Amino acid sequence: MVTERQAQPEFVSDRPLSAYLLGSLDFDTLLALQRRLVYDTAGDRDSASLILCEHPSGITVGREGSAVHIRPNTPALTARDWPVRWVSRGGGVMLHQPGQVACYPVFPLDTLNLTAGRYIAELQAVALDLCREFSVEAIPDPERPGVRANSRRIVHVGVAVHNYVSCFGLVINVNPDLSLFREVRCDGDPAPMTSLQRESPLRVRVTTVRQKLLELITGRFGFARVSVFHNYPAALPRPTPHALPHAS
Amino acid sequence: MKESRRVPILLPDLGSPRVVFSLWYVQAGDRVTEGDRVAEVLIPGATFDVPAPVSGTLAERNVQPNNPLTPGTVLGVIQER
Repeated sequence: MVTERQAQPEFVSDRPLSAYLLGSLDFDTLLALQRRLVYDTAGDRDSASLILCEHPSGITVGREGSAVHIRPNTPALTARDWPVRWVSRGGGVMLHQPGQVACYPVFPLDTLNLTAGRYIAELQAVALDLCREFSVEAIPDPERPGVRANSRRIVHVGVAVHNYVSCFGLVINVNPDLSLFREVRCDGDPAPMTSLQRESPLRVRVTTVRQKLLELITGRFGFARVSVFHNYPAALPRPTPHALPHAS
Repeated sequence: MKESRRVPILLPDLGSPRVVFSLWYVQAGDRVTEGDRVAEVLIPGATFDVPAPVSGTLAERNVQPNNPLTPGTVLGVIQER
């Protein structure tokens, strides 16, 4: 797999990227924002957005996941305050928790001349480059898209493409509590996940990882300009209970 | 008067060697508008919504969940209106 950025990839875009660096964001709020950005991008295919955030503890289950990969039963999940969301994305089960960077590119794949398969490969390449920035030798996982370091998964990949617009994306373990991954078989993998902090000889911080990731994505997908926002868009509605059944 | 025709819903090339059918969003007989998502397919790591190529009524569903697919597979047929 090619991991180095090509000098002139054919999908280079001179379009601007709107990057939302939002800190901690609960999952339902993320879904509402992402849904709105997908809608906007579907209507204006020259626009592209990226959400970078953390999530409070919780579990999402993609199309390739199963309840059997979640060890705690329902009362135990409730006691831990781990909500479970079944979402229409690829990939399997993922345990979200503080100490991760969740990355949700909302890109018009047809405008960028990317197939879904190529897009997944490019996201994996971004993840490998990110690991390399922190001196972590990682390899792509061909069976369950994601990235492994030291035989353990370190980056989860799970994407959905609606109307040729991407959503969902990557979850990178920066410095989460790794012991909790014994409770959830992320993407069906029997081994618990690892983290950049565990594998890297360098000091690894969430903010640094977030900034590096933004640079790598901007470079790989060839965006000419980046507008960075640190607040949830004021014009967008927060999720309401009646909206949640349609949230995925 | 415009003649109605039957238009196949073809699977585009998703750039992945493994594609399986995931689910239908519409039933046979449902009216659809061009661009509506009518079905979902799955490649490793991603779901992909297949849009309706024309407006009309879904006449046939030719594939079922977990069927392996290749580019150009006819997923279903829309009776154009």
